[in-house]
Amino acid sequence: MAGATQDFSQFDISKEEIDKLVAEVVRYVLFKTHQNSGCPIKREELVQLVTKNYSQRALPAHVINAAKEKLSNAFGYELRELLRCRPSSATQGRSTQQTGVAEAKSYVLISQLPAEVYKKYVEDENSAHLSGFTFVVISIVHLAGGKIPEDILWRHLKRMGLCETDASHPVFGNAKQALETLVQQRYLQKDKVNGPEGNTLFYELAERALDGPVSEKMKEYISEVLFRDDSHFVILML
Amino acid sequence: MPSLNWKHHALVQALMTRGPLKEKDFHAIFSGLTGKSPGAHQGLFNEYLLNINKELSSCQFELRACRDQYVGQVCYGVVNNVADEQSKLGTKYTVQQIAFFKGILEAIAQDVIAQGSISNIEALNIRLENQVLSTQGSQLLNGPLPAAFRNFTMSQKEKTLDEFVQDQWLCCTPDGKIGLGVRSCLDLRGWFRNLDVPFCEVCNEAVVKGEILCPRCGLKWQNQLPKAEILDEEEEANDAIQSQPAQRPKRKRTKTNETHEKDAVGCGSSQSSVPNSDFRRITRSSSRPASQR
Repeated sequence: MAGATQDFSQFDISKEEIDKLVAEVVRYVLFKTHQNSGCPIKREELVQLVTKNYSQRALPAHVINAAKEKLSNAFGYELRELLRCRPSSATQGRSTQQTGVAEAKSYVLISQLPAEVYKKYVEDENSAHLSGFTFVVISIVHLAGGKIPEDILWRHLKRMGLCETDASHPVFGNAKQALETLVQQRYLQKDKVNGPEGNTLFYELAERALDGPVSEKMKEYISEVLFRDDSHFVILML
Repeated sequence: MPSLNWKHHALVQALMTRGPLKEKDFHAIFSGLTGKSPGAHQGLFNEYLLNINKELSSCQFELRACRDQYVGQVCYGVVNNVADEQSKLGTKYTVQQIAFFKGILEAIAQDVIAQGSISNIEALNIRLENQVLSTQGSQLLNGPLPAAFRNFTMSQKEKTLDEFVQDQWLCCTPDGKIGLGVRSCLDLRGWFRNLDVPFCEVCNEAVVKGEILCPRCGLKWQNQLPKAEILDEEEEANDAIQSQPAQRPKRKRTKTNETHEKDAVGCGSSQSSVPNSDFRRITRSSSRPASQR
């Protein structure tokens, strides 16, 4: 924090004001993450926490960087920045420069603890079913090449006991809502594609599933499952 | 500012992810991370908590312990110390549910004989309109109440009660009533002070379920009820007193710790005798301890 504070001298703001702004951003990120079950937080929301009272142009970026440092030092969380990706049908044949639209940044909190420490001491076993569901769904989409029609996805999920029409599943409650949550959390995104038979809804991997560490781990776990002799997973995908 | 390492972070994240933890579970995590048990290395354990709180305090959070006043169990949790715009994001409850919760808390905290709990029926009969009026003053007296408050059904109240218990804001006491949950004990100390709930001189916990002891000899304060009420309430008060462990004169001066874990009573404090007509205030505003830690 001391390093970040020295950089703030250019803004003509007291240290107390800076600390207050940083604390506001940290608290906003923590409470919002809890409220929306881990859905990414738009950078614009954090910027507004600063700009509502201060007009210095580069101040929001500095405050957000200081908040990143505070979240890491005090809580052991990384404020991971994600670049929102657009559906593949919207970007076909066009680069970001050509579209002229800046991609929106968003943030998620990732624990910096070693995986075995997190699993042993931190992981909440009451939410293990959600992690499992997330892994299964993005694995299916990944093995389908990163994009899969909605009806095919549900066909695979049905084989594992989860139907699209389940409104009171004993573990997941409303099945459609459970899948929609993955879209809100930006593991998946929806894409409507025009075809000869009308519109088809596709699910494809979004920035959270494509994020480096997540993507690598997912491929590792999929390999472990695929190369087990007693695995039925390979049969499902054929 | 002390720098924290991954062990400190693991303790903080465990509490933030899993919610309040019982002492034995929290101690087990500490032992697993450091290879040392808090019991044998109290100084190291305290140092860890102190360093964590020095970092958390800059963001108005705190790692705190409290004792469950119904079974004596100590719990740890990370709590928020400031009610600001950001913390309002931290709830998944609706405005009606929060009003319902406030009504239950007030009913428990303002219980004259300090049972620390209310029955399920009493909880379900809490009226949300009273909460709306108390927060918005007289402005609503002439206007219609929001329909959502009037239409908060019994079924919704039952479902909400279950959620509160599941989320540990409330609890089911050993005698089947509704009491304060661990989260309330950890998070709502400031609110208890606003309600003039007395705080124990020894452990500095809000006395929601407790007794009043004489400050000189430590013996239980004899209830001085107006005669008209003795026939109805004496039996209740006796039941409450008989369910508590026997008191000793020195008890008030001893620190409550694990040796008193089975003791379900948070000790209270008292002043010299007050007129009978003021009895109902003895357990609350008249019984503030002379000094608080």
